[in-house]
Amino acid sequence: MPKGNDTSLWLLRIVGAIAGIGLAAGTLASSASAADDTTEQRLLNAAQEQDNWIHHHHDYTAQRYSPLNQINRNNVKGLHVAWTMALGGVEGGGIWSHGGLEGTPIVENGFMYVTDGWGSVYKIDLHGGTGKLVWRMDPKTDHDWAGAVACCGVDNRGVALWNNLVISHTLDGRLLASNKEDGKVMWERKVADPDKGEVVTGAPLVVKNLAITGVAGAEYGIRGWLAATDLKSGKEVWRTYTIPAKGEPGNDSWKDSYDAWKTGGGSTWVTGSYDPQLNLIYWGVGNPGPDWDSAYRPGDNLYTDSTIALDADTGKIKWHFQHTPNDPFDYDSVAETVLADVTVQGKSLKLALEADRNGFGYAVNRADGTFLWATPFVKQVTWTKGISPESGKPVEYDPSKPVQTYVAAVTPSRQNPHITSCPGNMGGKNWPPTAYNPDLKTWYIPVIESCNEADDKEVKPGDWKAREFFTGGGPVTKLPITGSVTAIDVTTGKVTAKFETKYPMLGGLLATPELVFAGHPSGEIYALDAKTLAKLWEFNTNAGVNAPPMTFAVDGKQYVAILVGMGGAWDKWFIESTKGLEKVPPSSMLFVFSL
Amino acid sequence: MILGRSVTKRTFAGRYARAGGVLAIICALCLGLAAELRGTARAQANMGGHQPKSEGQRIYEKANCVGCHKWHGGGGGSYGGAALSLRDTQLNRDQIIEVIHCGRPGTGMPRHDRDAYKDYQCYGGLTAQDFGKDMPKEATNFLRPKEIEIVVDWVIQHLKDKGPPSYADCTDFFGVGARACDIYKNEDAAGSPREPTTVGK
Repeated sequence: MPKGNDTSLWLLRIVGAIAGIGLAAGTLASSASAADDTTEQRLLNAAQEQDNWIHHHHDYTAQRYSPLNQINRNNVKGLHVAWTMALGGVEGGGIWSHGGLEGTPIVENGFMYVTDGWGSVYKIDLHGGTGKLVWRMDPKTDHDWAGAVACCGVDNRGVALWNNLVISHTLDGRLLASNKEDGKVMWERKVADPDKGEVVTGAPLVVKNLAITGVAGAEYGIRGWLAATDLKSGKEVWRTYTIPAKGEPGNDSWKDSYDAWKTGGGSTWVTGSYDPQLNLIYWGVGNPGPDWDSAYRPGDNLYTDSTIALDADTGKIKWHFQHTPNDPFDYDSVAETVLADVTVQGKSLKLALEADRNGFGYAVNRADGTFLWATPFVKQVTWTKGISPESGKPVEYDPSKPVQTYVAAVTPSRQNPHITSCPGNMGGKNWPPTAYNPDLKTWYIPVIESCNEADDKEVKPGDWKAREFFTGGGPVTKLPITGSVTAIDVTTGKVTAKFETKYPMLGGLLATPELVFAGHPSGEIYALDAKTLAKLWEFNTNAGVNAPPMTFAVDGKQYVAILVGMGGAWDKWFIESTKGLEKVPPSSMLFVFSL
Repeated sequence: MILGRSVTKRTFAGRYARAGGVLAIICALCLGLAAELRGTARAQANMGGHQPKSEGQRIYEKANCVGCHKWHGGGGGSYGGAALSLRDTQLNRDQIIEVIHCGRPGTGMPRHDRDAYKDYQCYGGLTAQDFGKDMPKEATNFLRPKEIEIVVDWVIQHLKDKGPPSYADCTDFFGVGARACDIYKNEDAAGSPREPTTVGK
């Protein structure tokens, strides 16, 4: 067990541990010492640690569901600020004028680990009803080097835990292992290379003794990958490219004669999920590069815009499901894959759920990727007439065509270079994570209700330059964009409720037995009824919310925490569609609520 | 002449049409970029990683020129469209000064002079009324007229007509040893899966 800083801290932690056992019978707290070592067993059983939140998405299912129910439908009106803490990392770098907060706090046995946009990790002692900074680890991220090739903001979505280490990323492409006790960096390694346009914004996923890293940079023409680092040795175990090389299965979905696959995009910057029984890691893959000029890269462009399932030990791709072949819209499938088990008409189904930028929520069989259903979760879809219930592909998809045209009038192409499509290129649903209530079998999606104009600009072989944008056009942002929280019953695939919001949902969701929590970019935090999505509580932080809420318990008391500080792509590229948000200043705050 | 004051009022579009290749490119690429500088103009004097070498560079960063035109001034395609290349621009000193004062209608280039449409006689005396909703966006950080002259002189001295950016240009901006400059020194980055590029040549 890491040593406390002083006697009072020790006492607080012992009291906390006892209170934790009392509150949650399922808590694995056989001894304080074992509980503080984040073992493989504890990572597998994270859902049973009711007080804690030890994975980025709470547990390996990525449901972001906490069973804590002290704060519930009946009393949530009494929720108020317990304490706040100002963080750093708001400074700019590269093409960015400021950093932001998109992270999910991790909580283990009364201690929280959060990151700011430049990758500083803060350990906070949560005991005694307040927050006390224990240490801050500043990885000294190279602002100029990384900030110049971060397509969409100075972001870091959080840490992972493994044994006595805190595992974190930096925008400039490093994986760091810091000692939980004092924040000392034990080792680090370069995983991504900003010289190639690669940066890292996602939180690591720890499976067994591996830390899985995803990469951003499709707008710079990277060739995307997932990399597994052995946390015992600090060495790479496998690296799987999301764009297959010549001779590998799937490379024939790049039909050009000039190796477009080498700059084919396929980022992986949202943390995946894991099924231990199948030993499969699930990860969303981003857009092809260049984003809009699909004629530059004829073919389906595997595995862009796909969900992929990989063998956890080897990184070998076991199956894939592609949502938008030969994508001309920037419809990433960079999204978490939610794992849910349901019984429909007596048949038990193991689902993998994905809410795509293209406006559809998908369910596939997570053992083999077989398509089950797709449902539009946005109010307006114009790029396709629908998803085929048999194939799961857009009905206009024609595998014999090298360049897909979908609904041609709204599809950007060299022949039709200026279009308006719904959803716009931000989605649909972007990186902010969904949440799932396993009792209600209801999946909640943070929605960007949008249409957007876009231009196709022809890219020619040889146009790619290291560290320069490689997008083949771009969005033209004028139309107003709103948002919603949309609920889908996963046993039927039908939308059951929608809570509409003035602005797009840019922060993600948390589910508890009776509630759904959400943050709104103009500052409001909402608690919604899990069944009806009726608003039960609201608090305005008066700053931009761009991160997901989470919940934990310490000293026997439940709290809700959320990072507040607008960052990301929105306020640089899309602010004109959300009048009023331009007045929201950059900030960097942690808010914690309790009854 | 491009954007000359002598041209009659209310003919902005007509002058665009006559402005030649550079402006045509701006129009084509920057349509709808209004979003861009509204957000990025929340400039920080300290961009986080280095100390500006001169007052001109300091203003170039403070006004967040770097957010769209990049450190090298090359601008280029981007997620939100494209920014004019200050390296290739054919605008002269007075014209660049005018664009910074007044912004560019229909593009993401904001106006950096608080009183541009009161006192400055933008584009031959166009007013806010003439533009309607195409009025150039307001920069979050305004510049004083003297600051605009300093930054334009810096652009002319360091960027305009300088050809592709070099390693020396990069270290001049970021300082010797900056990793942001390595690609200009080592074009064939170790371990790169692809061919060397033309950047820096």
